[in-house]
Amino acid sequence: MNKCEIKFGKMRWKNPVTVASGTFGLEYAELFDLSQLGALTTKTITPEPKAGNEPQRIIETEAGLLNSIGLQNPGVQEFIKTDLPEYSKIDTNLIVSISASSINEFASLVKKLDTQLGIDAYEINISCPNVENEGIAFGTAPEIVFDLTKKLRETTDRTLIIKLSPNVTSITDIAKHAENAGADGLALINTLYGMAIDVETKRPKLHNIVGGYSGPAIKPVALQNVYKVANAIKIPILAMGGISSVNDALEFIIAGATAIAVGTYNFINPLGTIEIIEGIQEYCISHNISYKKLIGSIQI
Amino acid sequence: MYFKKIPVLKVESVNDEYFVLRIRDKELTQNIKPGQFFQIKDPDVAIPLLPRPFGVYDIKEDVLSFLIKKVGESTKNLSILEEGHIIQLLGPLGNGFPVAQNKKVLIASGGIGYAPMPYLEQKLKEAGNEVWFYHGGQSSNDVFCDDVQNCTEDGSCGHAGLVTEHIENCFDSMDVDVVYACGPELMLQALSVLCNERNIPIYVSLERIMACGVGACCGCVIKIKENGKVVYKKVCKDGPVFGGAKVIWDE
Repeated sequence: MNKCEIKFGKMRWKNPVTVASGTFGLEYAELFDLSQLGALTTKTITPEPKAGNEPQRIIETEAGLLNSIGLQNPGVQEFIKTDLPEYSKIDTNLIVSISASSINEFASLVKKLDTQLGIDAYEINISCPNVENEGIAFGTAPEIVFDLTKKLRETTDRTLIIKLSPNVTSITDIAKHAENAGADGLALINTLYGMAIDVETKRPKLHNIVGGYSGPAIKPVALQNVYKVANAIKIPILAMGGISSVNDALEFIIAGATAIAVGTYNFINPLGTIEIIEGIQEYCISHNISYKKLIGSIQI
Repeated sequence: MYFKKIPVLKVESVNDEYFVLRIRDKELTQNIKPGQFFQIKDPDVAIPLLPRPFGVYDIKEDVLSFLIKKVGESTKNLSILEEGHIIQLLGPLGNGFPVAQNKKVLIASGGIGYAPMPYLEQKLKEAGNEVWFYHGGQSSNDVFCDDVQNCTEDGSCGHAGLVTEHIENCFDSMDVDVVYACGPELMLQALSVLCNERNIPIYVSLERIMACGVGACCGCVIKIKENGKVVYKKVCKDGPVFGGAKVIWDE
């Protein structure tokens, strides 16, 4: 009996590990059997194709990565035609990350995807710092998060996960609004705002000037956000933010996360997710604790 | 594509700026196209975080070599690795150069852009091509082989001046069918102009800051002309080799 099985919304995961949206793709199927993951999370899909932002799009900084990709994606039609059939062949849960520029657009995107088999959950990306008039514009206002979640709750029976931004005054307030509107779970955190400047040219290193900051540097920030939100809500949390080791993953679970996602670390160690799955299982065995009891087991 | 942790076979210093990193592995040395690259990192080093991409320099039996220039912390760290130290490699990655058959071809490289060219030269010769090889650098420090036409800006080795000027002077007498180039972007741009004027296909290998190396993150895109439109292409997966005429060069 696998001790690390979890229930997340209407999904059952064989283990509590997935990948963070935008940091992973079917390319990695050449390296390992992707069905070993508890779930797969796609890059964010939008109603129309998005070319993405002008380069320079990424810059490595101290213990982290700045990006301003700008949700480059082929759009929902092409996703359904090309990517979804490939994802559907993989024997694990599929979380489709989506973004749109209005509540109605979000709803019609979900409606379109709801006609397709092979999708287990939607991760509602209302926290991308790199696109104007969508993404984070939704994720910072509690009332809008409530209205959007409620509308999507009325639209689909599939698991709804709202992905939250740390770039807000009160993340717990937003989390509660999402929960009250019927979200099945929350994903946190998306990237922090960040920037870097070339001191010789005095120009920002990212073309977009400001980008999203990820990687090990943001782990303590993410952890305290997860801890705070876990204490404020009852629905499960999919935690992410700099997770780069088994120990990192365990910290988030102990802080109250039901599942975790590996993001930037995929670029450093593409087999990191598998090592973390094994490590969590080993920890549960060696500490003689069930995974369910480990969640939120922080001692204050 | 493989992801492997492998002991360093040898790190050989070329001079104070360049070194050759060698590893031995049967799988990794199979079916590598010239111009393909590997993402390499010392897993013991936490910062810098990301691996760095390096083009394949040479394959002899099961020994895979990379010619690397020390430009930052990652490359400096790699330059002092001892034999047996475990490094991680992800690859082979990218599309690689299309290898012409029985043609007259010109290879042009600049600085560390020399790295993928000896292996390309070998493959081109095996495919029956007649190969001219021109290489340019700032000084004799940037020259790696006496068997190619070397140019240095300070005149310390080979022809004095830019390699592009030297190629331009003798281009029309050579009757070249295809050009392969890797080096500074201004050089690649100048060569692309020369080739376009003469209707000669040119393949350029580009370099960009990369994160995933496999096409997942969309971090390393460049602008390419395709069917009358400008589109973003990933240097790691759609490249690093592109038709020079299609690249929209940075201003």
